[in-house]
Amino acid sequence: MEEKQNMTAERSLEIIRDSIERSQRTINRNSAIPLIWWGLCVVVFSLFIAYLWKNHGGPVWNMLWAVLWLIGYAGNWIIDKRREGIPTTFVGKVIGHVWTTFGVLCCGVGMLLGFIGSGMLPMELIMPKVYIFGCITSIISLCFGMATTITGFTINNRVIQVCGLIAGIGGFFGALHFPGHAQLYVMAGVAAVGLIVPGLAILMQNQKKEEQTCSSH
Amino acid sequence: MFKPLDPLLHSELRLAVMSLLISVDEAEFPYIKQQTGATAGNLSVQLDKLATAGYIEVEKTFKGKKPCTLCRITPTGLKAFEDYVAALRSYLNISPEGDAKND
Repeated sequence: MEEKQNMTAERSLEIIRDSIERSQRTINRNSAIPLIWWGLCVVVFSLFIAYLWKNHGGPVWNMLWAVLWLIGYAGNWIIDKRREGIPTTFVGKVIGHVWTTFGVLCCGVGMLLGFIGSGMLPMELIMPKVYIFGCITSIISLCFGMATTITGFTINNRVIQVCGLIAGIGGFFGALHFPGHAQLYVMAGVAAVGLIVPGLAILMQNQKKEEQTCSSH
Repeated sequence: MFKPLDPLLHSELRLAVMSLLISVDEAEFPYIKQQTGATAGNLSVQLDKLATAGYIEVEKTFKGKKPCTLCRITPTGLKAFEDYVAALRSYLNISPEGDAKND
């Protein structure tokens, strides 16, 4: 970009618009990769744990979810290292906080239920007296859908908003219909619709905008 | 009556830098260089001009052992940018809501 000072007002507005759009595309593209990564992790773990649960010893294999967090964060750390230098925006921060909150809540509830299941915590301590129908997959699906929908509204992407609603509502009721290991197939579907599809949608949206920019110049 | 355009912002590269910085917390020198397509030398000169005017803050730091230059917009810079855009709108006869006036 050269040092020109005899610009027209139209050219000035064009520079402002192009700079903001180009930067936004770079940032969006980089925020899509972690969504796809975490989505793939959840899909693979769901199907793997479902297989082990069905064929090799029952629900104890759910303890493997703890490994998901380790692998997920290790991959996320590598992704973050590779995109060093990409600045953060307010929108990026909001999306990050939404998904961190989702992760902490699901991890917390999952761990408590895991402690109950393994006998390390008495059930009465967590669910005293009153009978609570606790289907963890339904609750996680609902949170999943909510996080995806908020992401969609934040970056103003209709595809992601719809994916969030489908993942949340579909996952909530779907998990109630499928007992045992089959719930994990629902979880895999929710992760695919709630994370992988939105990630791909962001990438495609960016690509489309880049093509439009290239053709307009 | 047209509002005067800030001469410091009425330059392609400086305007592009300010446009990049308004939407982010801070940006590293290589990122700004990549986004604007400017040469390192030219960009340094223009960043100095913006920093001298108080429109941006330039922080020289280290990332591990590598030197790292961080740039962020200041409240003065943000106000100057808003005034510049308002002035552009008056030239183009665009209302603050974005509608072009016909009369």
